[in-house]
Amino acid sequence: MSAPLHPFSLGGNAYLVTGAASGIGRATSILLSAMGARLVLCDINVGGLEETKSQCSRSVTLLPLDLTRSSLIKDAMLEAVAGAGKLNGFVHAAGRPYISPLKSISEEKCTEVYALNTYAALELAKAFTNRNIYAGERGSIVLVSSVYALVGSAANVGYAMSKAALTGITKSLSIELAPKKIRVNCVAPGFIRTAMMDKAGALFNDEHSQLLEKMHPLGLGEAQDVAGAIAFLLSDASRWITGTILPVDGGFTAQ
Amino acid sequence: MEKFESGMAELLEVDTVDASDVLEGFEAWDSLTSLSIIAFIDENYGVSVSANDLVAAKTVGGLKDLVLTKAKKA
Ligand SMILES: NC(=O)c1ccc[n+]([C@@H]2O[C@H](COP(=O)([O-])OP(=O)(O)OC[C@H]3O[C@@H](n4cnc5c(N)ncnc54)[C@H](O)[C@@H]3O)[C@@H](O)[C@H]2O)c1
Repeated sequence: MSAPLHPFSLGGNAYLVTGAASGIGRATSILLSAMGARLVLCDINVGGLEETKSQCSRSVTLLPLDLTRSSLIKDAMLEAVAGAGKLNGFVHAAGRPYISPLKSISEEKCTEVYALNTYAALELAKAFTNRNIYAGERGSIVLVSSVYALVGSAANVGYAMSKAALTGITKSLSIELAPKKIRVNCVAPGFIRTAMMDKAGALFNDEHSQLLEKMHPLGLGEAQDVAGAIAFLLSDASRWITGTILPVDGGFTAQ
Repeated sequence: MEKFESGMAELLEVDTVDASDVLEGFEAWDSLTSLSIIAFIDENYGVSVSANDLVAAKTVGGLKDLVLTKAKKA
């Protein structure tokens, strides 16, 4: 396959997107599709996947899956690829928050959060590198971490643990997978208006929302703002970038 | 429901609590403690309460009533 004429084009490439039924995963899927990519959309929420598919402009395969059941990931990907064609990369945007002060932290909850936010990324990467899944060129993996992997905040230690681990995974895998021409990068979003934030927001009072707004010099973000950065990291425009953690946060971590 | 009182006492960093104790009156009362209480109620009673609910409930007893009412509805 020859390289696309435009370094920002994804024409001819195929990607799997997790968390594709909502928020950042959905916005990413819609953008990648508009940029010419074929897609496999993965999420536990089937209705949401259908809705995302209806907003995509070209060939899309749905892969309903509970990503915490890691033993199912490889076979599910093999099956999806049989229909959709081999992949050039994947985006791991499925994730969940865990707001809890140290006082009420629970091992069980931490383990659940880790299984989805963190370990699923490893299992996806392991399956992706299989020669029956990876197209063998222009490989790119993008993991969705958080600004809270980079800076501290109270009542967030379980989530921070799961997201900070992704930065270590990004760096390790970028070295290990470079010989296979697979780049591995990570975006660290600030606060984005999505379903996740609405749920988390109910735990706080109005004062807290105003404070959040102030913490972002460019204001709160939209899911599309993160999708743009992810698309860049998948495209040939970033072909010499690997092992990077890119904050996409309206200036949150600049201060 | 004695578990409710002992859980609240632990989170509010006192030995025992009374139904009439005002939540905001505890020395350990702050936004983190309120989050811990929300998590405690969610995990033990399967009930979601918001930070504003805590303020409106005012006392330990008021909060317990709210949890009982919400648990019945669910
Ligand atoms: N929204 C923010 O402010 C923000 C900030 C920083 C980082 N992030 C991260 O971005 C990512 C996307 O967040 P979002 O705001 O779009 O969230 P969201 O809740 O809108 O979407 C998350 C998706 O993950 C899916 N999911 C949940 N459990 C799953 C499972 N077991 N198997 C498969 N899919 C599952 C959900 O169905 C949902 O579609 C998450 O990893 C989140 O931690 C979000």
